[in-house]
Amino acid sequence: MTDYDAIVIGAGNGGLTASLTMAKAGLKTLLLERHNIPGGCATSFIRGRFEFEVALHQLSGIGTVDFPGPLIKTFSDLDVLDDIEFVEMKNLYRVVYPGKMDLVLKADRAESIKTLQEHFPNDADQIARFYDFVWEYCNQWIHVVLMKDAEASAQKYPVFFKYALKSMQEVLNEYFTDPLLLSAIGMYYAYLGLPPRLSPFGEFALVLWGYTEFKPWHIKGGSQALSNALLNKFLEHGGTVRFNCSAIKINVQDETVTGVITEDGDEVSTKRIISNAGTYNTYIDLIDSEQVPSQKYKELAGKSVGVSGFTIFIGFDEEPDKLGIREATNFLTMDADANKAYDYSKTLLPAKNMLFTCYDVDDPQFSPVGCCQGALICLAYGEPWLKVPPARYFERKYEFARHMLTILYKVFPKCENHIEEIEVATPLTHMRYLGHPGGAIYGFDHLGKDTDFFIEKASPIKGLFHAGAWMGSGGFQPTLMSGASAGRALIKSLKN
Amino acid sequence: MKSNSKKQIEGYKDHIKEIEVFRKYGVERTLEKGQVLDGINALHPKSIDLKVSRVIKETLTTSTLRLVSKNGYLPPFQAGQYINLFMEINGIRTSRPYSISSAPNQTGYYDVTVRRVKDGFVSPYLIDQIQVGNSLSSTSPTGNFYYNPLFHGKDLVFLAGGSGITPFMSMIREVTDRGLDRQIHLIYGSRKEDDIVFHEELADRSSYADQIKLSHVISEPSPEYSGAKGFITKESIQELAGDIAQKTFYICGPPEMSTFVSKALQDLAVPGRRTRKEIFGPPVNITQQPGWPETVKSKDQFEIILNGGKAIKAAAGEPLMNSLERSGVVIPATCRSGECSLCRTKVLKGKVYQPQGVKLRKSDQKYNYIHPCMAYPIEDLELLV
Ligand SMILES: Cc1cc2nc3c(=O)[nH]c(=O)nc-3n(C[C@H](O)[C@H](O)[C@H](O)COP(=O)(O)OP(=O)(O)OC[C@H]3O[C@@H](n4cnc5c(N)ncnc54)[C@H](O)[C@@H]3O)c2cc1C
Ligand SMILES: Cc1cc2nc3c(=O)[nH]c(=O)nc-3n(C[C@H](O)[C@H](O)[C@H](O)COP(=O)(O)OP(=O)(O)OC[C@H]3O[C@@H](n4cnc5c(N)ncnc54)[C@H](O)[C@@H]3O)c2cc1C
Ligand code: FES
Repeated sequence: MTDYDAIVIGAGNGGLTASLTMAKAGLKTLLLERHNIPGGCATSFIRGRFEFEVALHQLSGIGTVDFPGPLIKTFSDLDVLDDIEFVEMKNLYRVVYPGKMDLVLKADRAESIKTLQEHFPNDADQIARFYDFVWEYCNQWIHVVLMKDAEASAQKYPVFFKYALKSMQEVLNEYFTDPLLLSAIGMYYAYLGLPPRLSPFGEFALVLWGYTEFKPWHIKGGSQALSNALLNKFLEHGGTVRFNCSAIKINVQDETVTGVITEDGDEVSTKRIISNAGTYNTYIDLIDSEQVPSQKYKELAGKSVGVSGFTIFIGFDEEPDKLGIREATNFLTMDADANKAYDYSKTLLPAKNMLFTCYDVDDPQFSPVGCCQGALICLAYGEPWLKVPPARYFERKYEFARHMLTILYKVFPKCENHIEEIEVATPLTHMRYLGHPGGAIYGFDHLGKDTDFFIEKASPIKGLFHAGAWMGSGGFQPTLMSGASAGRALIKSLKN
Repeated sequence: MKSNSKKQIEGYKDHIKEIEVFRKYGVERTLEKGQVLDGINALHPKSIDLKVSRVIKETLTTSTLRLVSKNGYLPPFQAGQYINLFMEINGIRTSRPYSISSAPNQTGYYDVTVRRVKDGFVSPYLIDQIQVGNSLSSTSPTGNFYYNPLFHGKDLVFLAGGSGITPFMSMIREVTDRGLDRQIHLIYGSRKEDDIVFHEELADRSSYADQIKLSHVISEPSPEYSGAKGFITKESIQELAGDIAQKTFYICGPPEMSTFVSKALQDLAVPGRRTRKEIFGPPVNITQQPGWPETVKSKDQFEIILNGGKAIKAAAGEPLMNSLERSGVVIPATCRSGECSLCRTKVLKGKVYQPQGVKLRKSDQKYNYIHPCMAYPIEDLELLV
């Protein structure tokens, strides 16, 4: 007899849906979380009057009543749909390049095309063609990947087979040359964590299509409300959770899971583990390397730790409208060349591309009455921050933040005089709270070679499963779904 | 996708080759074991083992403990931050937060300056029992009461009450040691002249550093005393601080002082965005806080059931966390003032009273989480700990 049927390490999105899936199926499940609260990235913290949203800028996969997205099914299977209130975000995004470009894309294909055509009349035809092409790609992707058409072939689905692994840049170049247009249309590269030259086109297409078709959404109470809802349901189903309790070791014998040792020194036995701690931590820090086939380390050697973020959380003592903030999602850019902006994310040089999200635009109750909050974020790798001597850390952090704020004030001058709270999070902050190397928020870098086509999901360790960004893709939708699917896989393995 | 169909994707083979190359020339990952934790520990170790290297008697009621790290390393902090000190007193494991009073421009040691609180549990222990060579442990430095160069401006007024001088001392030491471009006016309220902590050093630093201006306000002055008298009030702030239009105000002291001075600033129409606050611990008499249920007396005892098993008794007038600790149940804590949420605990049944200022997330409220460090039982309770 073991202490638990299954143990889940980490209460991030993936860990939460995994735990709940198993508890619902009647498995005696233990969830271990090193932090004091569920959610991982999907969390919030309070400063003064503000509860700051940490991670969720735009939730994908929700869809509309007539056209529900895949995440609705996940939530409904987990029986939490009634516990979460979604808030539709009106627009995809505004993109501002001060003095050069300023446009707003609606979460609607025809409207997006129209807006882009108005701003770039010379490229009007190409814009329409590009959208047709992206939609066609996604349509074929649905048949091949999602519906697993047994007769899928390059003849039957030429667009998918030709373009899935091309770089986003290559494809954009086939359609456009105007750098501003490239910048405006390609802004969602930021959600992939890699620039157009490195992002697979297939991934980009799915993001643009996905947010446009299923709309961007947010959650009443922020992502913490979702995490708390999932955890609460897990407890209702008899699950056990321990916060402030890291797993420090996964016990493995004969390449088979036998249990977990917690930071308090407790040894808990189980034959099945789902790790949401990421494959990096799991194989490098949690399992004795002698127990892991060397092939696994080769695989990890070939991957690079992905990007983190640098975020300035700002509480304003004024409503968005009065600050001139009309869109929730604002990409601010100082360089149309996203590839170059990305190179900066590997340094401490002033960021060139950033995202400013003001949640109160679509949900006026997000912050206290008469206030609003904004998150100003740019992609940033952990590496240069790890090299800052600890004694200089605060200084560097403020310096970096100051540059970003200068750009914010350029676009929203009224913001400067209404700041009531500011908190700054660097990649090291994410590293501290998540325990991931470099504070990575999407797991490993996600180049073409790191896409699902090449990922071996099964662990060489018997009884071990993975959920979350490090095994697949980052982002809310993928990680939430990956946990549910890991949970189902584990349940299935019990029957065999 | 089936593997024979995957292979038809254009570029598939090139990607397989790329993977091989990356793996061949990639990083030997097993050598990276422990690196993430090392990185985290450089800034935010979960706990620090400390040794008292000096005890400095500041006033009749106040002592500074100089703390050095047993492993030789102390993480950096921002002037104004605190550490939570852990100790065991008469078999009871507990903790209390103390602001670091030494300057952040050196991390050879952290000073904490402790004032004896009447009938207090920990402060008398730290002052009377702790000696050079004794061990203590703490959290890493934390807290949000520090100078934020991004929006605080350069003209600051510090309003200190009693032991509330400690974070300001760290800030003043930093600004003067490093010659930073910042104007500070310290308005420091004490009971008597000989209660003023760091009296000489403050006089000294303000005499040579143009950045520092010093005003004392004494509430129970001796007959010889000729300076400002009474409490820190709206009038005294107006008189001492002069033109307040662009200034940022920091308040630090016991809860009663903080409430009083915050009100004074509101009356002076200082916007919330230019007021920063640190409150030193729970209110002395919780039953006098707004919203406290009249029928419940401070001494009333309630039964607290933990995880459906063990039951303990807790008095209404004391933070739940203290009662739990006395019964041997230690909940993780950092701020002990309801702010940091480290102690968040789910209530399965019953009601608690939580004073204003307890920072509960919206969804934590929805699912009945409380912060036991600032929650008081007003009914029998069942907790999940
Ligand atoms: C600032 C920011 C902005 C973002 N914006 C968006 C967005 O707009 N849209 C979007 O879709 N995505 C966004 N993301 C990404 C998304 O939030 C993440 O990819 C996703 O939440 C990761 O989920 P996960 O399941 O991998 O778990 P994580 O969130 O990585 O959580 C892992 C959990 O495991 C715990 N853990 C780790 N090791 C241990 C251990 N040894 N023992 C116990 N517990 C352990 C950690 O404490 C953590 O709680 C953003 C992320 C951040 C940080
Ligand atoms: C962020 C922060 C920073 C701080 N920094 C400093 C600092 O730099 N220097 C400093 O001196 N202090 C500081 N404090 C205050 C410090 O943490 C302690 O609160 C203080 O030392 C009193 O602790 P104590 O154990 O002596 O008193 P406690 O035992 O906690 O008692 C506090 C009060 O409660 C009353 N009380 C005690 N027991 C009961 C009971 N059973 N029922 C009802 N009432 C009771 C006591 O009479 C006393 O008035 C700080 C607090 C915070 C939150
Ligand atoms: S210890 Fe910080 S909220 Fe209770």
